[in-house]
Amino acid sequence: MATKSETVKTKTVRIYELDDFEKLLKGVKVAACMLTESHQVVDEASVLKRLNALTLNGAADGNCCSCCGVGPFETRAQQTAHYKHHWHTHNLKRKLFGKTALTLGQFNSRQDDSSVSGSDSDDEAQNSKKVPATDLFAAATRHCKSFFTNHAGQVFCLYRCILHHRKEELSTDGDGSAWIDRCQRLLIPGFQRWAILMVSGGHFAGAIFAGGTPVVHKTMHSYVTRRGQGQAQAGRDQHGNMPRSAGASLRRYNQAQFLEHVQDILSNWTEDFIGCGLIFYRAVGSLNQSALFGKNSPIKRDDSRVRALPFPTRKPTYREVQRVHETLASIEVYESLEQFQKALISITSKSALKTGSDPSTERAKKAPKNSPNKGIDRAKSRERARRELPIQVTSSEDEGPCFIDSETPVGWIKALSEQSNGITNSRKDLINDCAVSDHVVTSEGSESEREVIQEVKDQTKKKKKKDKRKDDEKPVKKGPQKIPANVKKMWKEISGKELNSLETIIESWEGSDFETACNTQDPVDGNTALHKAAIAAKPDMVTQILSCGGDPCIKNHLLQTPYAAAPHHDTRIAFRLFQGQYPDKYNYAKSQIPGPITPELLEQEKEKKAQQKRAKRQREKEKQVEKIKTNKFLQLTDDQKVKSLEPRCFLCGGSLPKVPFEYESYRFCTVRCLQNHRNIRPLHMSA
Amino acid sequence: MAVRVQFENNNEVGVFSKLTNSYCLVAIGGSENFYSVFEAELADTIPVVHASVGGCRIIGRMTVANKNGLLVPSSTTDTELQHIRNSLPDSVKVQRVEERLSALGNVIACNDYVALVHPDLDRDTEEILADTLNVEVFRQTIAGNVLVGSYAALSNRGALVHPKTTIQDQDELSSLLQVPLVAGTVNRGSDVVAAGLVVNDWCAFCGLDTTSTEITLIETVFKLNDAKPTAISSTMRASLIDSMS
Repeated sequence: MATKSETVKTKTVRIYELDDFEKLLKGVKVAACMLTESHQVVDEASVLKRLNALTLNGAADGNCCSCCGVGPFETRAQQTAHYKHHWHTHNLKRKLFGKTALTLGQFNSRQDDSSVSGSDSDDEAQNSKKVPATDLFAAATRHCKSFFTNHAGQVFCLYRCILHHRKEELSTDGDGSAWIDRCQRLLIPGFQRWAILMVSGGHFAGAIFAGGTPVVHKTMHSYVTRRGQGQAQAGRDQHGNMPRSAGASLRRYNQAQFLEHVQDILSNWTEDFIGCGLIFYRAVGSLNQSALFGKNSPIKRDDSRVRALPFPTRKPTYREVQRVHETLASIEVYESLEQFQKALISITSKSALKTGSDPSTERAKKAPKNSPNKGIDRAKSRERARRELPIQVTSSEDEGPCFIDSETPVGWIKALSEQSNGITNSRKDLINDCAVSDHVVTSEGSESEREVIQEVKDQTKKKKKKDKRKDDEKPVKKGPQKIPANVKKMWKEISGKELNSLETIIESWEGSDFETACNTQDPVDGNTALHKAAIAAKPDMVTQILSCGGDPCIKNHLLQTPYAAAPHHDTRIAFRLFQGQYPDKYNYAKSQIPGPITPELLEQEKEKKAQQKRAKRQREKEKQVEKIKTNKFLQLTDDQKVKSLEPRCFLCGGSLPKVPFEYESYRFCTVRCLQNHRNIRPLHMSA
Repeated sequence: MAVRVQFENNNEVGVFSKLTNSYCLVAIGGSENFYSVFEAELADTIPVVHASVGGCRIIGRMTVANKNGLLVPSSTTDTELQHIRNSLPDSVKVQRVEERLSALGNVIACNDYVALVHPDLDRDTEEILADTLNVEVFRQTIAGNVLVGSYAALSNRGALVHPKTTIQDQDELSSLLQVPLVAGTVNRGSDVVAAGLVVNDWCAFCGLDTTSTEITLIETVFKLNDAKPTAISSTMRASLIDSMS
């Protein structure tokens, strides 16, 4: 491979090669990308400023910004300008991420940097300004290796799982002294006694190494997986209806035997485990894990020495166990940061070049070419997403494990290389401060404030310009171009009172496409010609525009369709009639027109209404007659009432029920009438 | 006057209602008891509108409103928008916004003059907010929380914020908002004050769990004890301030 010659040869030091390891550890420091900025480290200037703010004007009025360390503000305008400044927003976000605030000078110099957006940029760019720093830290803390530098400027890395348990978090604050302690501890011979246990698919391999040499080891294999289907028999059985074939029962038996044997082996090693500094295991699935951690097992799952292997492995064999041990114990050493950087670059570029030689990716590459002939026929052709292949573990024999894969962010590489440029010893977050290194900080608050206001003004100017541009663009987006004069004229004529039909407009129409003219929306209120006709209550014109191609589904800025905008019944009927006539011309479902109607139906409806009206009139007439009768009755004297042919309620003159309410000879329609009559009667008598 | 109320056995009334100086929105589908409490207090001064947003009842968290306008998220359907437009006074501008942080009520806290917003809110949304609600917009956090809309309840007369807001921050916020401000809780110690409380210039509604101490604090800071809906505090205020400054 041509690329191989370019890769920088790295030195690999094993942990059990004590002399080399000890040399390596001289003056060891945790690499900067692994550390967070300590919360105690505060910029002196900002502290002073805040103290000033407290002592000079008192904190009580809150006329300052403690987040940015600015203030007291002289005017309200200054205050609002500060709170609207990007600097303030940026500092707010830094505060959320537990970082110290930037001074205005730092912020400005950072803005000059290309990685950070300008002050009036979009907010996508603004988001991206936070990305490198947090991303880098996240990637570094998530990586399966940890990075260190030593006094000789060498960079080396070793697996995280050697240093601490997955659940145990070593503090990344300050200089990471906890990490260094753990590194030093590895030198003690007791900590170099490791056990490695692997269980998978009926294979068991385990060994205990002390300082690079195996003390005990054991491998075992039994037939438990279904070769054809490729699954453990126990796994298959869990899905219900267990097969009863001879093979199945054999495998079941073997599985039980296997568990027993593994547990036997482990219990035989009980005493060896006690002396082990670390126990690594690979056991995927509950079945395999139960083999290692089952009841009576000498190793407990919650033991902090017990750690899972951080990289993929092959079939558990003694060779594989040895390889795993060697890989775990190896430390990649780069002589200098430049070399480290070069190696990284060659690795990343190699991953790009590799695509040519790697058989699987080659296949992927070829596939699209052939796909028109060979691929699956789909109604819609889909673009195949390029997915990255899983990282392949290279064995220690040929290259040594590759600890930086293509996923490693480039920003990280940058961070490590920045470290070599003179600020290695600074404990600040490298990425955050890389741009700030030699900027003169403006210390006078008032001056910086003035700067802020100036900038805000500039921004608003720019914003206005932008707005103007936007305004210019808007109509372009909505209409084809500017609204043509003839369309405007048409709108005017439609809205005007003189014309009731479209014919004159069509006759006098000059211009190409009448249909698009009909569907052009007024930029002011979003009305089309159809809307205008509907609002002006001109049913004939509505019908004509509809037949000329005016779409009834277009909504204006009030979200009204022409139908919804029509204020009068006749206009609405015009829409419905049109729908009845041409049911397929438009998609009426969106036009809010309630349904089609035909002239006959309309006629029927009219007839119905007329009938209802007549009935109503009839009823009213009857009521009138009744009223007159009642009045007549009420005017009669009591005697006449009693004698009258048509007996009615004595008090209100209403008609009586079948069995009227009565006292003496008076009859009433309701109890209330009766009561009232009784109440007023004494008055009558007295009168 | 602060009134205790419950929405279907839930104390987070700020989730299911939105109260401003010119209208009140309540979630559709609640019990009649919930509405009647609002209507009894408000119906003779401002309209109480039943509404939903995107088919959800959590209108208080989805929308942001003041007497000048109402912003609804993009999930709002046309019908809902039309209904809200029809029910609100004509002077109220209703606007739908395309915003990634779609729970506008959680990311924006505002009164009729000032709005505090989430630091990551879209610039376009900020502009729409300023235009529609007629407010000055500030990006802020409250007690280290970006959800300013959840952790602050604002009116033109006062503000209640997350109980863990430092004194320094309270002073600054108060100075920025130009209203008196205290840190406090609602609903027997809940720190999401905006979810447990809706308030305008003359009345407040809080969850049924709110203790009397909390009520007293709310009434004091929002100056509800003597408050009446008056023109001087709602319609004339802007012109008065203009003429006096």
